[in-house]
Amino acid sequence: MDAFLAAVRLVFDPYVLWVITASAAFGMFVGAMPGLTATMATALLVPVTFFMEPVPALGAIVAATAMAIFAGDIPAALLRIPGTPASAAYTDESYAMSKKGQLDLNLGVNLVFSVMGGLIGVAILILCAPALAEVAINFSSFEYFWLALLGLTCAVFMTTDMPLKGVTSLLLGLAINCIGIDPAAGYPRFTFGGVELLQGISFIPAMIGMFALSELLRGMVSIDARGAMIAQQIGNIFTGVFDVFKRYWFNFLRGSTIGVLIGALPGAGADIAAWISFAVSKRFSKQPEKFGTGHVEGIVDATSANNSAVGAAWIPALVFGIPGDSITAIVIGVLYMKGMNPGPTVFLQNPQFIYAVFIIFILANLLMLPLGWAAIKGGKQLLRVPRNILLPVILIFCVVGSYAMTNSAYGIIIMLVMGLIGWLMEQHGFPIAPAILGLVLGEMLEQNFMTSMIKADGAFIMFFERPIAAALGVTTLLIWSAMLWRSVKGKPTSLSGVAPVP
Amino acid sequence: MRANDAIAGLVLIVLSAVMIALTASFPEFPGQKYGPSLFPRILGAGLIVCGAVLMWNGLASRRAGAPWVEIAPWARQPRSLTSFLLVIALLLLYIFVAETVGFIPMALLFLGTLFLWLGVRPWIAAVTAFAGTLLIYWFFASLLRVPLPRGWLNSIL
Repeated sequence: MDAFLAAVRLVFDPYVLWVITASAAFGMFVGAMPGLTATMATALLVPVTFFMEPVPALGAIVAATAMAIFAGDIPAALLRIPGTPASAAYTDESYAMSKKGQLDLNLGVNLVFSVMGGLIGVAILILCAPALAEVAINFSSFEYFWLALLGLTCAVFMTTDMPLKGVTSLLLGLAINCIGIDPAAGYPRFTFGGVELLQGISFIPAMIGMFALSELLRGMVSIDARGAMIAQQIGNIFTGVFDVFKRYWFNFLRGSTIGVLIGALPGAGADIAAWISFAVSKRFSKQPEKFGTGHVEGIVDATSANNSAVGAAWIPALVFGIPGDSITAIVIGVLYMKGMNPGPTVFLQNPQFIYAVFIIFILANLLMLPLGWAAIKGGKQLLRVPRNILLPVILIFCVVGSYAMTNSAYGIIIMLVMGLIGWLMEQHGFPIAPAILGLVLGEMLEQNFMTSMIKADGAFIMFFERPIAAALGVTTLLIWSAMLWRSVKGKPTSLSGVAPVP
Repeated sequence: MRANDAIAGLVLIVLSAVMIALTASFPEFPGQKYGPSLFPRILGAGLIVCGAVLMWNGLASRRAGAPWVEIAPWARQPRSLTSFLLVIALLLLYIFVAETVGFIPMALLFLGTLFLWLGVRPWIAAVTAFAGTLLIYWFFASLLRVPLPRGWLNSIL
């Protein structure tokens, strides 16, 4: 209880509240701009939050990402372009609704169900994380090794139709992570005598490169592409939303549940949650023929799902230090920078920070209602911000942000190199998320792997001797064999089989 | 640009082979079976397997008529290709000269060039470049105390 009160004091500080509101507005803007994603909003925020205390820093990220995932729905309805990939699943449906003259209802449903879905995600986070942390406190290196491997496995399994390219991407991320001092013996690897490579590949500039720079490069070459803005005026968006809720409350619950599950699984986040819940909604709908004609049902499912995934993704991140999606991958980097190594011990040593994150999550979702309303009202003006001014400004911001992480050109070099790698991978159909997870989890995986190997000293049965380790290990191996089996038989393996890979 | 998977696979195999070769110089610790070279070697072996399968698939699609290298539509248009190369060139220029020239002149050049190339009207480009540069300088250098290079303006700032 003391910790809870301490958390309340930490959050309800004028400075922290100001940071949350400002980041929320920033997230709303970035999310609504096509081509700028929620992950990018996070990556751009990190250089700024680097200089803050832990609570405002986490608050900024929580608020910005929650808003950005909702804000992606606005250009989907107005322009038929998703603002973030998480809205891509129902962009056509949203736009079809707008064209039918239901623009107000569509935006209202998106906003209200985003808020409610987000709150469900937070509720599960609050219920599950501390309980899981109590289990996790007894974990040894064997459990953590399997957990990290399972997380990476899920990342491959969830994010791609082509397991081969996912695995390659993952191994590449892990290999890049080997640069620098090795975590077990302290020997400098692949540094080529350089001093700067000793610290390894700085994580934040690498993220800015892979998520922001590569995205900007794609934006630069397609800068003339524009959607046609819908002509209809925006009226009262809340009319009729309650009727939709009465009719589709079950879809809301189902969408939120799917969102929570997929968000909590490592490697897949809001975008996959939206695709899957939309597909589920269509399959079990009583009127599947209406899908594609501007039908609200699937939107209820998917817009609830992507927002509930945002909160749920923090569960594995806080409890095990394994990111639930690419946003929490960045969050884990931030936690390490702040000296709060994610894992069950944070719940014991700094419970006030955990409670503060919970409170900020609730606040951010409530704040979404007024801010989202404002963003919808100003949506048409917002979307007229010229991209030929926006992109160069973000680019220089990336440069300065990467520089600020290392206080040297080294950060910018990493950003450029990783940006080009990310861009090349994307061009060749290699998913980026597994590489990022490899980069984040590499050290944890190697450290626990080496510790376990040394403990076991050749007796591999020790990897399966403890009950939880055995369960995790068997699950991991089963997923690998399923992937191998299916790829030999040439069938699509991943759940995202429903999602067309862009 | 999109190279055939066979090329991607070959690149991966070469890189992994180099990585494994480099681990040969890593020290072994007496009485310790597993040293710093173990993990990179496992990864390298995995990457070589992936590279080999990629090459296999790539060669199969090559036989089916896929080209070695496919040029993406945007890269055929001189305008978007230049945009792409311009960004890379400006970033490289920034990395090499910002320390001597300083952040403010470099950012002005960076923003001004991109604005004009992307067709922003000259006076708007000038005003926005100035405002953007000063805003970022104020935010990072004054507020967050990031030591952005002063360069030529060292005596004034």
